[in-house]
Amino acid sequence: MNDILEHLRKEYQSVPIPEELDLLVNRSIKEALRTRKVKRLKVKGMTAAAAILVFLIAINASTTVANAFSSIPGVERIIKVLTLQEFKVKESNYDADIKVPAITNMENKELQLGLNQKYLDESKALYDQFQAEIEELKKQGLNDAHVGVDAGYEVKTDNDTIFSIGRYIVQTAASSSTVMQFDTIDKKNQRLITLPMLFQDEQYVKQISDNIIAQMKEQMKGDDNKIYWIAGATDYISIEESFSSIKKDQSFYINKDGKLVIVFNKYEVAPGSMGIVEFVIPTEAIEGDLVSHNYIK
Amino acid sequence: MNRKTDQILTDCITENKENIYRLAYSYVKNKEDALDIVQDAIYKAMTSIELLKDKAVVKSWFYRIVINTSLDFLRKHKRVHSMEQEKLEFYAMGTEDSYTDIDLARTLEDLPSKYREVVVLRYFEDLKIEEVADVLHENVNTVKTRLYQALRLLRVKLKDTSLKETK
Repeated sequence: MNDILEHLRKEYQSVPIPEELDLLVNRSIKEALRTRKVKRLKVKGMTAAAAILVFLIAINASTTVANAFSSIPGVERIIKVLTLQEFKVKESNYDADIKVPAITNMENKELQLGLNQKYLDESKALYDQFQAEIEELKKQGLNDAHVGVDAGYEVKTDNDTIFSIGRYIVQTAASSSTVMQFDTIDKKNQRLITLPMLFQDEQYVKQISDNIIAQMKEQMKGDDNKIYWIAGATDYISIEESFSSIKKDQSFYINKDGKLVIVFNKYEVAPGSMGIVEFVIPTEAIEGDLVSHNYIK
Repeated sequence: MNRKTDQILTDCITENKENIYRLAYSYVKNKEDALDIVQDAIYKAMTSIELLKDKAVVKSWFYRIVINTSLDFLRKHKRVHSMEQEKLEFYAMGTEDSYTDIDLARTLEDLPSKYREVVVLRYFEDLKIEEVADVLHENVNTVKTRLYQALRLLRVKLKDTSLKETK
């Protein structure tokens, strides 16, 4: 065994070192230092100018806006999502841009208020946490550390029956991580749709999980760059760590075609390089357990 | 303070430049790309050294940057290094003396990268298991398991080749 390793080691070390390596390394170090110096000068300028904190209130009076919409003749009461507030921090090395969505024009005011309150609270918490992080970095004297947070929303689906909104949070330090959350609203009945609500019983957990695992295997077969943490795919991940089932309240939304889309956040079922992964579940796979075809086509 | 950490990093880069070149080379398999990666990795490290909290682990931190840069590069260029059965058999036919090294090298290259990198870091770069874990952002047990499996795979493959030879 040691012989083998020794051979391999020799082979590895026999890779010739190019002559230009020395020069390249020295030049790279110098260049990097120079760009850094420029950056530091900028930092000093900024501290002198003091931190600029932009607190932007775009449309704070959501009710006014809502009323304005409904008062225009011919404009139906359509659920709309607006940017209620934007928390912004713009310091040399710290960036925050947190957009707070607000849903307007829902008939079910209680639900609307509940959702908007949740969005606002979570955004505020995110903003406070970011501020605390900056303070901590400053206290440690790490004035050059780059950190950022970018949060916002996107409307995934907006048709006659369904309104799906996805909210994302991208946090950057050395690397970035993204988290996504969804809310899906039944427009006709004015209520929030949860995953269990779509099904008669809990069979869906297994049906969806099986389908996703099959899709994962299929994708991995076709593309070496795709890796999912499922049993048998990678030897180095233990059974406990590998994906075997979705959660009962797994993140989901309903897409424009009326298909159920299951979403996993970064690291949930795959290495970080795979990012957020989504699986469109073919309706045939869950047919038997669906309550109705009202939402899922 | 900044000047001191700069010095630590600069020293680390200069001392290990040949190692990091070989490490990058083990991923991309050619001189130009490996040099590019070295350059990129130095730049990344120099401009983000502030994010490194514990200056004592600067080496494994820098190795990690080199590996990540290499992986990014491969992902972008989607280079797949595969060995067709024919070629394998061709090499296997050669006499031991002249082709041993090639056989062995192919075996290392044929290892899935997860295994190759632990072998490279532990046995060729002489990092401690803890440092390997640190570089790869994995826990110590995972690294041990992978090492064990890598060694097992290497031996299995070599056995296969020798089997073919005796036929």
